[in-house]
Amino acid sequence: MPHNPRPEHLALTRRELLQRCGMGLGALGLGSMLASEISASAAEISNPLLPKVAHFPAKAKHVIHLFMNGGPSHIDTFDPKPLLHKYAGKNLPTENLRTERPTGAALPSPFKFKKYGQSGIEVSELFAKTAESIDDVAVIRSTYADVPNHEPSLMLMNCGDARQIRPSLGSWVCYGLGSENQNLPAFVAMCPNGYPIQETQNWQSGFLPGAYEGAYLDTQHTAIEQLIENIRNEAIQVPRQREQLNLLAKLNLRHQQARHDDAALESRIQSFELGFRMQTEAAEAFDVSREPQHIRDMYGPGTQARQILIARRLVERGVRFVQVWHGEGQPWDSHDDLEVIHRKLANQCDQAIGALLVDLKQRGLLDETLVIWGGEFGRTPSVELPKEGANAGKINGRDHNHYGFTTWLAGGGVKGGQVYGATDEFGFKAVENRVHIHDLHATILHLLGFNHERLTYRHAGRDFRLTDVHGQVVKGLIA
Amino acid sequence: MRDALRRSSSRRAEQRTATISTFSLLSLCLPTLLAIGSARANETPLEPAAVEFFETRIRPVLAEHCYACHSAAAGAPKGDFRLDSAEQLRRGGAAGAVIEPGKPADSTLISALKYESYEMPPSGKLPDNVIADFEQWIAMGAPDPRSDAATETVPAAADPQSHWALQKPVRVAAPPVSDRAWPRSVVDAFILARLEAANLKPSAPADPATLLRRLHCDLTGLPPTAAELEQFAAHASDAEYEQAVDRLLASPQFGERWGRYWLDVARYADTKGYVFQEDRNYPTAYKYRDWVIAAFNGDMPFDKFVVNQIAADQTGDATAVAASGFLTLGRRFLNNPQEINDDRIDLMTRGLMGLTVACARCHDHKYDAIPTADYYSLYGILASCTETPRDDGPPLLVDSPQPVVQHVYLRGNGGAHGPEVTRHFLSCLTEGEPQPFQNGSGRMELAQAIASRDNPLTARVWVNRVWGKLFGRGIVTTPSDFGVRGEPPTHPELLDWLAVTFMDEQWSTKRLIRRIVLSNVYRQSSAPRDDCHEADPTNALLAHMNRRRLDLEALRDSLLLAAGRLDMTMGGPSVQLTTPPFANRRAVYGFVERQNLPAFFRTFDFANPNTPAASRPQTASPHQALFMLNSPFALEQARLLAERSAAHAENAPPLADHERISQLYQLALGRKPSLEELTDAATFVVSGVESDQAAQLAAQPRWQFGWGVFDPLSDRVDFHQFPHFRDGTWNGGETFPDAELGWAMLNIQGGHPGDAAHAVIRRFTAPAAGTLRIEGELRHPAAEGNGVVARAVSTARGRIGEWPVAHGASSTVVDGIPVSAGDVIDLVVESGGEHTSDTFLWKATLRLTRDDGTVESWNTLDGIDGPRPATTPPLDRWSQLAQVLLMCNEFAFVD
Repeated sequence: MPHNPRPEHLALTRRELLQRCGMGLGALGLGSMLASEISASAAEISNPLLPKVAHFPAKAKHVIHLFMNGGPSHIDTFDPKPLLHKYAGKNLPTENLRTERPTGAALPSPFKFKKYGQSGIEVSELFAKTAESIDDVAVIRSTYADVPNHEPSLMLMNCGDARQIRPSLGSWVCYGLGSENQNLPAFVAMCPNGYPIQETQNWQSGFLPGAYEGAYLDTQHTAIEQLIENIRNEAIQVPRQREQLNLLAKLNLRHQQARHDDAALESRIQSFELGFRMQTEAAEAFDVSREPQHIRDMYGPGTQARQILIARRLVERGVRFVQVWHGEGQPWDSHDDLEVIHRKLANQCDQAIGALLVDLKQRGLLDETLVIWGGEFGRTPSVELPKEGANAGKINGRDHNHYGFTTWLAGGGVKGGQVYGATDEFGFKAVENRVHIHDLHATILHLLGFNHERLTYRHAGRDFRLTDVHGQVVKGLIA
Repeated sequence: MRDALRRSSSRRAEQRTATISTFSLLSLCLPTLLAIGSARANETPLEPAAVEFFETRIRPVLAEHCYACHSAAAGAPKGDFRLDSAEQLRRGGAAGAVIEPGKPADSTLISALKYESYEMPPSGKLPDNVIADFEQWIAMGAPDPRSDAATETVPAAADPQSHWALQKPVRVAAPPVSDRAWPRSVVDAFILARLEAANLKPSAPADPATLLRRLHCDLTGLPPTAAELEQFAAHASDAEYEQAVDRLLASPQFGERWGRYWLDVARYADTKGYVFQEDRNYPTAYKYRDWVIAAFNGDMPFDKFVVNQIAADQTGDATAVAASGFLTLGRRFLNNPQEINDDRIDLMTRGLMGLTVACARCHDHKYDAIPTADYYSLYGILASCTETPRDDGPPLLVDSPQPVVQHVYLRGNGGAHGPEVTRHFLSCLTEGEPQPFQNGSGRMELAQAIASRDNPLTARVWVNRVWGKLFGRGIVTTPSDFGVRGEPPTHPELLDWLAVTFMDEQWSTKRLIRRIVLSNVYRQSSAPRDDCHEADPTNALLAHMNRRRLDLEALRDSLLLAAGRLDMTMGGPSVQLTTPPFANRRAVYGFVERQNLPAFFRTFDFANPNTPAASRPQTASPHQALFMLNSPFALEQARLLAERSAAHAENAPPLADHERISQLYQLALGRKPSLEELTDAATFVVSGVESDQAAQLAAQPRWQFGWGVFDPLSDRVDFHQFPHFRDGTWNGGETFPDAELGWAMLNIQGGHPGDAAHAVIRRFTAPAAGTLRIEGELRHPAAEGNGVVARAVSTARGRIGEWPVAHGASSTVVDGIPVSAGDVIDLVVESGGEHTSDTFLWKATLRLTRDDGTVESWNTLDGIDGPRPATTPPLDRWSQLAQVLLMCNEFAFVD
């Protein structure tokens, strides 16, 4: 073992390593070190993103999380509630549940629903293209969260805790699995024009090492140097930079000769070579113009299409976790004008999401890629009432609804072509096979090969996990 | 203390009985201590002395040397043999029993330890006295209090209250050592004793230059200059070294370095984290930062330092008010008081005492002797305080007029009240029953209890943090967890000796650091020790110094220092480190945006500003490399360093290449290059001169647009760039004709000359050598005026073509002329006399046949460029070399 000092989380004896990581022997890619007395290579210790082995074999190796931030209405997308038409403009027979703001009469969906695929699952016209792949999708109509507010719900959905600083799902997954491509970030969070609310906390690494934090890309940009910091050098041409690195290698080699036992020196040398290669690889990965025209046509025009296509290119290259946010702020938050706004937003992404599912499948990538779709909550079946300072008072939108909403999963070992769980007859509350966000997280980790109770990290004196002390794997969602 | 704990347990049990009907939830958070107590009751009672022998002499050895392979946690234990439970140990392994209680001589375990049968542990034979302990233990009948059910991953103390860190530190005499010549101080004796027990020798002292650089970086975060290094190396002596130590401890940069370490613990930031609508900034947070730096520079006694930060309002010291930022500058959690208080409790307990009290928010601590009642007692103190904003500093915490009545929040739920708690200090650190605090919120009493000599943790924890910074590894390697689940100290007596001495010396951090850096163990070389790999793979015993990498602050500061740009101004509002123009200040003055920490901070392992940092990770990600390779900041420092390396005395000739290379090395690495290095660098520079030129030419615009005069006498053109561009036209300004340049203008098709002093010029720069031919047609379409005169003028050859045209057209052909790279060809059009009706159209093609036969051509109709956006100018070869030195491992690591 090398002699260089290690920070608390890296300076692990084998015993510590096992304890802290809560994984069995062979996990963490350190099997060789544990099994024998052979020392860990430089890279293994200081590069926290090397590929690692999960707890058990699993299909899903990558995740694409399509985040409809703001809260898309389940009633208008994947959870038809025809009974609402009967009560249109009238109070529901049951009392409206308490949400963030007062709501009134029943508001039936203005969108048409249709059955798709062999499974015959009903989907609204908003996601007609997505629905063409419905036989690969498990529509969870019974997801629920804790409170009807954006901030805590985003934190719960992303980090498993509504208030405290906790690592995000993507960070946990990268901590558990590392990355298959060292030339690209392991965890990428894309959001055009700026941040969603809660900002970078949505993809934070919390107390996990910073290497597991999502790398944020503002996908309004198309130029690589605007997407990834320091990826281009305007002042030195590539062949000159190669010469620099050659000279650097000479210098470092001479320096290293008298310090041959130090893995940290070697890993820093390697990091420069990696960085150099990354310049080419990253530029290539983010350049959708390299896709054949028929593929670009399939995804369609616009920013959503481009970033969803980038997501596919990234997982294809071994990036572990890609989060695709719809846009800055909370675009799906239709307190007013739901019909117009939801139609516009769905128009922007439906074709690309449909294309993504088809494209992943035709490339044989759908099996190993878990696609997650959803927001931080859904919306009320009752119309939002005017409230000063809160909405435009048009009485044609819906309030937040955490009691029951739709999230769907596809690919990655998910049992597709099924509706899992249900909300009540009006879509207010999950009533059947309820899936709390902790359960969803447990299930996602399971699909990736982890026992959510054993994917832990020692911090501040205790072993933390994504699901804290909660979470049940939803067996019915697994193929 | 143990009795106190039992009392408190039983007290809780009574409360439980009384409240169980109302609070059935309570039964879910069964006090772990009770569980432990009942488990104990089922076991065969063991003599307390026997238990103590096992706990102090046997179990730690098993944990340290055996569990890795022989425990449940090891997965498939080697030889199917586990030592982590009493039953398993008795049972033995695949080869049968390994202990015969009462008969050490017949026990395989003993022969294995003696390397007479098996050779265990394989990493090296244990010291004889340890083997003797095992013999004695087996002779005693191998008493083993461990529970069989447990698959022990943690060497849990029999009673959390007996945990080592809760016992007051005692100063014991320096241990005897064989090599009496080596120790310079008691510190050395403790280190050497452990080394000798492991049959290891300490390393030779580091060479003077290495030592001085280490000292500078550790004490100030900045490397010494080449001159300082040379001077020190020439006169190295103990006295010189001691002087250097004192000089650096007295330098203001000391506080900037060590203050920053403290800010890691204090989870300092300039912003509140996520906010809804309020201002995100703590605009005066920097006052706390400056107070911390000043406190370190003034060597404020650490106990006073702590009290000031918890009870700044009650110290009577007006200068200490900013210290309140310690508690009040945390994340705001959308102003959720439960989270804010939890953050502050965590800060005070984990940050100052290495106790994970925040674990007791929802249930009694699972491992340490911390009941929820203690957590909510501290919570009650904070809840009895209010925050007052101040214009000239961070918010101040003051006692509310009326303290609150605090209850335990069941399972951390603020809506579910459990038993009422008094405001008192942690029971595990109190003799007997914890007494309620008397004054106001009790915050001052709490501060005093934390900063008390009687507190077994505070001094130990700080001393350990200091040691960890100086050696790259603490005596306790979990610096913020001194609890049962933390790592035990590698040198417990040394830790205690340092802690007690520290308190005896008025809690002086400077004296503590001075003592450590003057020791021989600190002065050791970091050269590899092949003999240590097996015996001490993590260098826990410090047979040599640990090599360390510059952290974010030291790296950034060192880059600026090498570039000659580091601004040593102290204090004041925070500056932006990551957006140009880049601040030249030390990184400790950088603005820390807690919510969206810029990638630069995360990339370089900055301490997470959301939680008291135990230590910083040390990663080597390719993003760090990309920053050094490509970031505008790194390029700027390389360029400036290269410029600086060319500096020479006013009357002296420019430096020869080898002199400049030598300068570069001294500025960047504090030393002269070796002959080999000199050669490599010289080759690098020379080989790049051509490519440099090519790069510069390639980066230059092909066409420039301006005005000037052709002077027939000198055959030269005086060229000035047009100042204004709009809608494809270059001219003198927004209003046309321009007051100065008149009608002079150029566009894609041609243009219009001004008066005699303002001919218009399209300037072409040849990107490479070859033969250049010009073809084209010039038209003067107007029927009026007296026409224009066009010329092609080469900087190298003067006038190469001249075409007067009036009311008609002329072909403009120049037969192939030889050009060199960088040669300029001006297409000049002047008025024929009267400068009215002089609009002209000129399409021209310039065709360059390079020496290698390739042909390239440019047509005036290809387009007309506006002003070029400011781009990073190409880095010349010297700057590239400078950058290599700034990127090398020698720059980034401290031996």
